[in-house]
Amino acid sequence: MPTVEVQNVTRVYEEKGMPPAQALRGVSLSVEKGEFMALAGPSGSGKTTLLNIIGGIDAATSGEVRVDGQALSGLSRAALADLRRDRIGFVFQAYNLVPVLTAAENAEYVLQLKGVPAAERRARVKDVFERMGLGRFLDSRPLKMSGGQQQRVAVARAIVADPAVVLADEPTANLDQRTGAELMDLMHGLNRERGTTFIFSSHDPMVLSRAQRVVRLVDGELERAEVRGP
Amino acid sequence: MNGTLLLGWRNIWRNRRRTLISMSAIGVGLFLVVFYSGIVGGLLGNAKNELDNAGMGHVEVFAKGYRPKRDVAATLAAFPERAALQLPADAELGTRVLARGLATSAHGSEAIQLNGVDFAAESLLSAHLRQVKQGALPVDGDGKGVLVGEELATRLNLKVGGKLRLMVQRADTEMGADLFRVRGVFHSIAPSIGQRQVYVSQAAARELLGLSAATHQAVIQLSDPVQADAVAARLKVTLGEGYEVLTWAELVPVLKRMEAFTDTVVFFLAMFVYLLVGLGVLNTMLMSVLERTREFGVLLALGTRPARIVRLVIAESFWIATLSVVVGAAAGALLTWHFSQSGFHITGGGESFQLEGATIGTLVKTRFNPWDVVRAASFVYVMALIVGIYPATRITRLQPAEALRRT
Repeated sequence: MPTVEVQNVTRVYEEKGMPPAQALRGVSLSVEKGEFMALAGPSGSGKTTLLNIIGGIDAATSGEVRVDGQALSGLSRAALADLRRDRIGFVFQAYNLVPVLTAAENAEYVLQLKGVPAAERRARVKDVFERMGLGRFLDSRPLKMSGGQQQRVAVARAIVADPAVVLADEPTANLDQRTGAELMDLMHGLNRERGTTFIFSSHDPMVLSRAQRVVRLVDGELERAEVRGP
Repeated sequence: MNGTLLLGWRNIWRNRRRTLISMSAIGVGLFLVVFYSGIVGGLLGNAKNELDNAGMGHVEVFAKGYRPKRDVAATLAAFPERAALQLPADAELGTRVLARGLATSAHGSEAIQLNGVDFAAESLLSAHLRQVKQGALPVDGDGKGVLVGEELATRLNLKVGGKLRLMVQRADTEMGADLFRVRGVFHSIAPSIGQRQVYVSQAAARELLGLSAATHQAVIQLSDPVQADAVAARLKVTLGEGYEVLTWAELVPVLKRMEAFTDTVVFFLAMFVYLLVGLGVLNTMLMSVLERTREFGVLLALGTRPARIVRLVIAESFWIATLSVVVGAAAGALLTWHFSQSGFHITGGGESFQLEGATIGTLVKTRFNPWDVVRAASFVYVMALIVGIYPATRITRLQPAEALRRT
């Protein structure tokens, strides 16, 4: 069973007084468990929209999306929130850590939502942070950390609850080339070690070169799939 | 601490200045309501509770026909003993023989109100009888002793031991007069009382008026003025026809009107302050929430249920309301309590002012009632929490992706 299955998904944005904008046009895609896959394409091609729809934070106008076998259409807001909490991890371009929480508390947040006891939460976060070289930042506030460090914490937050898939929207866009490469290596390492499925979007050749498979979107349509070696 | 409360606590300090301003608005608003209620309650309470400033009762009884013309022949001839009146145990009761007349000394004459009293009972009913500044109260059996006020003593150049001739119209319409000696001079906060009221023993007053054993007025003072209506109702039943039983609200209707007026003023002031407080909290929470729309989008994307977002925003309102209500209520309560002990003067000059027959002391002791504080604090508290719901629901109506697009 694919971890993510997208069938004929369209997304049309309609705003009062504006002509409808079609962001996705009949996109179908299947992502297997453990894949490290990239969505490529220029700005405005629909990468973020597709990731948002797969992640259940935006709704498709038509078509169907399944994550870990669960169809998203028809789920209530609360049920969608539970699905995101249990099966999906997010990494955003702008890190989006909660500034009033420490790095460890940011990562603990999802475990807290899942009702994991405090001691276990702390232990799991500490373990993940140490594996990712973030051990000394456990009690640091995000605004005291560099962009690269913040994005690593964001990755830790995304994987700490063992989701079925991690969705990363342009994760290196705000980082310099070297830090971006290190982050991609880190994500790829986690993919190999934990078998976590990663889908990330980018138009950076360095990032795309690390993907097992690159799916290219142009004007909301799937152009072609390129398979690379592991 | 619960995770939502902890996050709420940290969130309110993101913009310290804005939070402190909001808290100040709530705290000061609550402080004003508590303190103003205390002042008004104290002012009215003083007026009602301290009718003894003017020697008035919360309930007074007259013979029918006495009051319109002050007819000294209309007496409480068969007024029952206290036990038959079913008064509250802590009520004070006294009777008076009353007459209008003229007081004459070697220095001149003044119109007076003669009171024939039992001095022991009367000193519990009239505050000025406890304020004898020269001499002393006439003793039991002193048929020629008289107590006068400072103002009358000054006008007639009276000293303790000096002579004073009192002249009244008797019950048989003839003139009655007798010579008395000043035994004491009292001080009243109301100059009109010091100038007009003259006290002699009941026996002396009756002799002067040509009465046998009757009095004209029974005065009852209660520890709680609210009991007045019930006491008056019982007395009407007990005494039956032939008596006029009046409560303080009927004797000094201005007090009742003032009470209704100030209740209305306090109510609208409180509503106005509460409205301002509510708008202040709403504004703060709206700004605080809307500027963090993107962050709420992140929390939703991570799997936070919308209901938890609402709880988080309410947690922020909870902290703002808790801190400001505790400080505002404590400050209001402390100041109200302080002035309930020491009091303060509301006008310059005299010790009292007259208001349509009521003597109101200018030294106001605020009414400190912990329940007033709790009630006002609870209202502000609940309102602050309720207005926090609106900004929260605005966020949860958004798709997480839409919230993430907001800056």
